[in-house]
Amino acid sequence: MVAVAGPRQRSRGRRLLDVFEHERYLAPALIGPAIVFIAVLVGGPLLLSLYLSLTDATGGSLGGKFVGKSNFTGAWADPNFRRALRNTVLFTLASQAVVLLCAGLIAHALTRPIRGKWILRLLILLPWAAPVPLSTIGWLWIYDSLFSVVNWTLVHDLMPGGAHLYLYKIVNAVTPWTIQPFNPPQWLGDPTLALGAIISVHAWRIIPFAVVIFLAGLASIPSEVEDAAKVDGAVGLKKFWYVTLPLQLPIATVAVLFGIVFTATDMTVVYILTQGGPFNSTHMLTTLSYFVGIRAGSLGEGAAISLYLLPVLVIVAVLMLRFARKVEVS
Amino acid sequence: MKAQGKEGVVADKERVDVSKLDELTRRDLIKRAGAGVILVYGGLGAKSVAYGAPKYAKKELAGTLRILQWSHFVPAYDRWFDNVYTKAWGRANDTEVIVDHVGQADLPGRVSSEAFAGRGHDMVALLAPAPQYEDQVINHNEIVQEVSRKRGKMKPVAFRSCYNPKTKKYHGFPDSYAPDPVNWRRDYWQEAGFGGGPTSWDVVLRAAPRLRSAGHPIGIGMSNEIDSNMALMALMMCFGSFIQNSKAQVTLNTKATREVLKFARSLFKNGMSNEIFAWTAASNNQGFLAGHLSMALNAISIPRSAELSNRDLASKTMLAPIPKGPNGRLGLEHVMHTYMIWKFAQNKKMAVKFLADLEIKYTGAFENSKFYNFPSFPKSVRNIPVRLARDANTPTGKYKILGTISEKYTKNVGYPGFANAAIGEIFDTFLIPQMFAEVAQDKRTPDDAARDYQRRLGTIFTKWRRRGKI
Amino acid sequence: MITLREKLTSYAILGPFAIVLAFPFYWMLWTSFKSDQDLYNVENIPFSFDRKLGSPTLHNYSFLFHETQYLTWVRNTALVGVAVVLITLVLAVPAGYALARVSGRWGQGMGVGIFLTYLVPPTLLFLPLSYVISHFPLGGQRGLQDSLWSLVLVFPSFTVPFSTWLLMGFFKTIPRELEEAARVDGASRLATLARIVFPVSLPGILTVVIFSFSLVLNDFVYALSFITTSSSKTISIGIFTELIRGDVFFWQGLMAATLIPTIPLAFLYNIFLNRFIAGFTGGAFR
Repeated sequence: MVAVAGPRQRSRGRRLLDVFEHERYLAPALIGPAIVFIAVLVGGPLLLSLYLSLTDATGGSLGGKFVGKSNFTGAWADPNFRRALRNTVLFTLASQAVVLLCAGLIAHALTRPIRGKWILRLLILLPWAAPVPLSTIGWLWIYDSLFSVVNWTLVHDLMPGGAHLYLYKIVNAVTPWTIQPFNPPQWLGDPTLALGAIISVHAWRIIPFAVVIFLAGLASIPSEVEDAAKVDGAVGLKKFWYVTLPLQLPIATVAVLFGIVFTATDMTVVYILTQGGPFNSTHMLTTLSYFVGIRAGSLGEGAAISLYLLPVLVIVAVLMLRFARKVEVS
Repeated sequence: MKAQGKEGVVADKERVDVSKLDELTRRDLIKRAGAGVILVYGGLGAKSVAYGAPKYAKKELAGTLRILQWSHFVPAYDRWFDNVYTKAWGRANDTEVIVDHVGQADLPGRVSSEAFAGRGHDMVALLAPAPQYEDQVINHNEIVQEVSRKRGKMKPVAFRSCYNPKTKKYHGFPDSYAPDPVNWRRDYWQEAGFGGGPTSWDVVLRAAPRLRSAGHPIGIGMSNEIDSNMALMALMMCFGSFIQNSKAQVTLNTKATREVLKFARSLFKNGMSNEIFAWTAASNNQGFLAGHLSMALNAISIPRSAELSNRDLASKTMLAPIPKGPNGRLGLEHVMHTYMIWKFAQNKKMAVKFLADLEIKYTGAFENSKFYNFPSFPKSVRNIPVRLARDANTPTGKYKILGTISEKYTKNVGYPGFANAAIGEIFDTFLIPQMFAEVAQDKRTPDDAARDYQRRLGTIFTKWRRRGKI
Repeated sequence: MITLREKLTSYAILGPFAIVLAFPFYWMLWTSFKSDQDLYNVENIPFSFDRKLGSPTLHNYSFLFHETQYLTWVRNTALVGVAVVLITLVLAVPAGYALARVSGRWGQGMGVGIFLTYLVPPTLLFLPLSYVISHFPLGGQRGLQDSLWSLVLVFPSFTVPFSTWLLMGFFKTIPRELEEAARVDGASRLATLARIVFPVSLPGILTVVIFSFSLVLNDFVYALSFITTSSSKTISIGIFTELIRGDVFFWQGLMAATLIPTIPLAFLYNIFLNRFIAGFTGGAFR
């Protein structure tokens, strides 16, 4: 089927292509372009940022006086920085916990052949299709201080006619929280609620993606395993615990790894929702770095703030990647 | 805002006619028809016509001039500036003027990347002075001198915003600023028994509980956004609390600061709602337009929006100077629109000329911005009080007060010192709203806050002093 | 095949999740038809329209189409997306293949190494990158500043690392025997690659296409600092510039502008989902 000319007919041009027959040349030739591209567009800028973080560079200068690690120690001494560091970890872990739980449930339910699955799947995929900066604006409106649809639903009578149904009364009766209808919860104005709001938006936008990865993972479980489990009488929780869960671990790891990267390196959500407010309690390292380095012009310090993030991410990623592959091998 | 349509076009036309007498040279008068076509077309919404191949008086162009600035909150201003004013100026000076716009919150990011790259527009405008770029921009002294020769002195508020006394350099040229009046609802205040409105902070504090119990709280933000920054810094000054003195030394840990923090805490507890911690720059506008708020500190975007969408509400919205405090009335500008010409600009000569020309005949900009842009050189617009009084919206003459506010009660950020880079960093990292919010929510005592923030602001000042900019 | 109980559990899980995940879009749709006066009325029911105040109205959509360059931004976004996807494929497919096959045990380490570059946050890179694009040798005096090409150049910096890593995994699942058979028939390595390996890797490639495209849509920081010319803006930054004016948000227009690209894209993703899953199954877990 694959008809190729014999050696005798090869032109000089073909002979030139022969170098690709040697692995010594072929591999670098294939990998080379990608490596060069990444080295120039990520490696170079990263080194420049590293250099900037060691200088007192401001505003538009390409460099400055060498100041050693003082940008790093200066940032560390700032309570707003430590809060941002804590938030970055918190946002990432909490949103990924939510994602893991929800995506796992959704993916399992989606594997079953049910009527209307296509439309349900479409609705679930929607957040993934929306550009994040735009969908976050949608959330800003949902959480608005005055026109929040959530608050409207909580404090208004939802029953037409004479009957009354106030959701906030239910909340007040059932939960430890108290909602005053004239002073409804400020989703972006209270540090705790704002943390929740940001985590919810991150989880919301990542869930569909995680669902897809989970579906892929479930599809990769060989059907023999399922059959064997059935024969052994493993059903329900037992099957989940002994069969599905171990097989799902590498999948979960990959999904979480992406979720972590998406959340920890993102600045759009916090930038649009709170700008770090209320009282700078919801900054992540990325947004704080933006406000200090770009807005205020302390470039070196801004770079230092961002750089705190990188080693943590690298360690997490390496561990998770190794784990994902190891689990599978065993 | 959006219901502009044909009305907007007619209004534009009238304004241009007023301004034309000042703006255009004789040669341009001949081409008025052409500009009119662009104007009408632009008014109908086809913004893309802006860069079409324009015809120039001579065949050779002196060059291209690229400007980057915000999307003005009055859309008609951008249409006038992009399609009429700059085109006319371009023809008169054989220069193609290209104006790009970015949202105000996102401008600093782009400006920073141009400064870093050393390439970009010839000049950029920010809504606040940006002294951190001092080394990357030309000394704007030349423009200030040129305009001063024809129009007299620059207002102190503008001077203190764009001059660095340490390096003796003008790090920007503010063509205009926006006065920051108090917007208040006459009907609500009357019902609460304070028909005179917010004349002093004491009155505000006394009226607040009644206003709030009627469902109309006071709206002074304590959030990470520009309006909160402005309102709180102005409030501080009225109580005699200043971030720095005239020698750029931090002077926050004072009795006055503790007093103003106590005042704000009690104002919040008695007359505001939690919403103020969640605000974006748009929230006080929306709260006011919804008939929710009884008072807000903002530029005139509130009544101007109301005039387009809700005339009834507009006629009940009054403007007033900042209320009087123990230290008198000291308000801030709301926006200090500052142009910076890069050192790397390709067309510095024309950029300098453009700014000088714009400022010397500022009437068109003043009128087309619906009195949002006040000239930094007050004599650049003749008869400002008469023009303000001519505004047709009810109650008639309500914009007159802007003249008084701009004359008497508008100070720069960082007053009584200069708007230096440290002040800029404090502003951009929202430390003042943070301090107020922490006290208002009882996370800190006023004493503790004043002491701690004295130290934190001190760190920032030290940093910039080491860099030789203060 | 499945029991009624399983079926009901599925609905019980999927129904609420679908509602919660899709609710913001339902709410956007509703908002996008509201008049200003209806929108800014605290007491008005958000789930119905107040006819006295001029709702529902198509005004916000006509504003978007007639008074902004919305369609141009949509087109720009699509163009950049397609170009970035192509570049990503050109760089990542050969690299992924080589890492999987030719370079043996080094491949794994290098693959992870490439993946790690994906972790660098854009906040750290965008200033240096703006230097790179504005000094780019092509494109004239200001390099690629304010040109769509700047995005085409920069976006692959985050799509290539991921795609290479994914494709590396995918190529490993293709049996070597398939290639060896072709080589025995006398085909060169390159010919084998083009005629044997790529056709069977289509699901993996499709995964990379969709994934890269969605990453392009999500960018905000780069487009914001590289593009100011209105006619070269992408959707996200275009509507941020024109529909947030000073301290006035044009909420209805913002919502409409979000819905218009989202809904067709969601349909598209859903249609290709099964193949996407096949691609990911091959790529991520081998």
